[in-house]
Amino acid sequence: MGFIRELTKNRQLYALAIPGIIFLALFSYIPMVGHLIAFQRFQPVKGIWGSDWSGLANFEFFFGGQDWLRVTFNTVYLNALFLVFGIGAALLLAIFINEAGSVLLRKLSQSLIFLPYFISWLVVSLMMLAFMSSDGLLNDWLGRLGLEGVNWYQNAKLWPFILTVVYVWKFSGYYSIIFMAAIVGISNDYYESARIDGATRLQQIVYITIPSIRSVIVVLTLLGVGRIFFGDFGMIYGIIGDNSILYPTTDVIDTYSFRALRQLGNFGMSSAVVVYQSIMGLATILLFNRLARRIDPDSKLF
Amino acid sequence: MGNQPQQSTVPSPSGQTRQSAGRSAGESIFLTVVYAVIVLFGVVCVVPFWLVLANSFATEGSFLANGYQMLPEAWSLDAYSFLLKGKQLLLSYRNSLMVAVAGTVIAVTITSMFAYVIAHPKVKYRNIMAFLTYLAMVLGGGLVGFYIMVANWLHLKDSLWALILPYVLNPFYAFILVAFYKSLPYEINEAATIDGAGDMRLFWSIIIPVSTPVIATVSLFYAIQFWNDWYLSLLFIDDYKLHPLQLMIRQLISNLNMSAYVGGGASYRVAAPASSIQLATVCLTIGPIVLLYPFLQKYFVKGITIGAVKG
Repeated sequence: MGFIRELTKNRQLYALAIPGIIFLALFSYIPMVGHLIAFQRFQPVKGIWGSDWSGLANFEFFFGGQDWLRVTFNTVYLNALFLVFGIGAALLLAIFINEAGSVLLRKLSQSLIFLPYFISWLVVSLMMLAFMSSDGLLNDWLGRLGLEGVNWYQNAKLWPFILTVVYVWKFSGYYSIIFMAAIVGISNDYYESARIDGATRLQQIVYITIPSIRSVIVVLTLLGVGRIFFGDFGMIYGIIGDNSILYPTTDVIDTYSFRALRQLGNFGMSSAVVVYQSIMGLATILLFNRLARRIDPDSKLF
Repeated sequence: MGNQPQQSTVPSPSGQTRQSAGRSAGESIFLTVVYAVIVLFGVVCVVPFWLVLANSFATEGSFLANGYQMLPEAWSLDAYSFLLKGKQLLLSYRNSLMVAVAGTVIAVTITSMFAYVIAHPKVKYRNIMAFLTYLAMVLGGGLVGFYIMVANWLHLKDSLWALILPYVLNPFYAFILVAFYKSLPYEINEAATIDGAGDMRLFWSIIIPVSTPVIATVSLFYAIQFWNDWYLSLLFIDDYKLHPLQLMIRQLISNLNMSAYVGGGASYRVAAPASSIQLATVCLTIGPIVLLYPFLQKYFVKGITIGAVKG
């Protein structure tokens, strides 16, 4: 009753939202029907409605092996590294750029560090080849220092570190713009009185700048934590591709379910992986939103 | 640039001089560190771009002998002329442009309409809609269901629409617009209602014109998203005539039979300068972005800032 009346009263407004709702349904919500495949012995010919049910067999297969532990650990570990170092580097850059006196340098550096944000992961992966292929620049430089070259693409141990560096390179410019916007909003009176009290620049940063932009830091961190079970497919698959030597440290849930589908054609297990990921993801979001509400009521997400 | 720290009268962002007289030794060390870090990071951000550009002009011989170099020994335009002789580059450019232009127009229209409704205080179900949008952003539909939807139910395999339609409502950009619409004074509504204009007319003839700056920003984000995406084309495009530029780069990185792919057939007797062709394709792909970037940067910054204020 109230529902119908609301729709008729604001019908022009709801009409504006219809295309958006359709696309949201088509590409986000209706595909969730695909989660059913996780409980089926899916055959593409028979489709979702015709395939036989198999209970939890797909989940048993996924959780029966060692893979699920590895990909879950890699996803969470890599995302945690990206989050800590990405936000840390961005915060440092934002504060430093803000402290720099020269306007020209400030503008120029802001432009330069933002640039990597605009290129695709495939381009990034080609740039990495320039540095890290066997005859790449890094080995060239190591050679000149009299050191032995490294087989970067064969050495899985190095990759959490390498990927973190690349992530910081690509995203800290983007995040630092968010921080800079917040820093500019801090009233100059605080710094003024701090200086009168004889506070050094470092003290001003620690006791004024960082506390003032705390809620921005909290929001960005929470957004990242909320997605901690979701690997960046474009990044990992763009850089690592099908180089199985690096899987032990770089294979994340998203690349794993992609390969299960595209290479093994195992629809059931791929879906089971995604269902597992969605449940974990939903649980983290609900948990951390509640936490956010407690720490800082302004930074809750919904 | 090394002399810059000595100046003491440059205004800080908040418009007043932060550096006062009588700076201690500690402050000087601190400033030196600040400048060193900024300059170093700036250089690290640009070097890969330079490397790709410079080596796209390297001759294959120089490449085989030396690998990547900051300044190649021997320069040539072979890679570019080889690419322009073949059909693939032009095809891919056309595909990428079509997807980016059509995608951006459709996406901005749909997103701005949708965001306006979520932002409108009169709409009772706006919070539920916002929550569902946010949830979609976080969870997604799952790879298998999404694939079946696009390929089997919508029959968009090997169609450029498959690269456009799934991305026309990006929740993140929708929330940038929501934050902006919410900042508009509510009096606009009342004035228009008194004049007897319905919500639709109000939206098209008043709201859209006043929000052009934000819409420009969101358009740019969308354009970049469509231009850079390769996930959708990896999933849905097999026909090489429909490869966008990003997929072309991917093919070049993995394709062994490169001259057949970019040269448009086996008719070219000349061996393709493989490495520099990859790099030249990358240059032509990121070229438009890098060249337009200085003029458009302020719009991107504005968009990020609006989104950040809302949180």
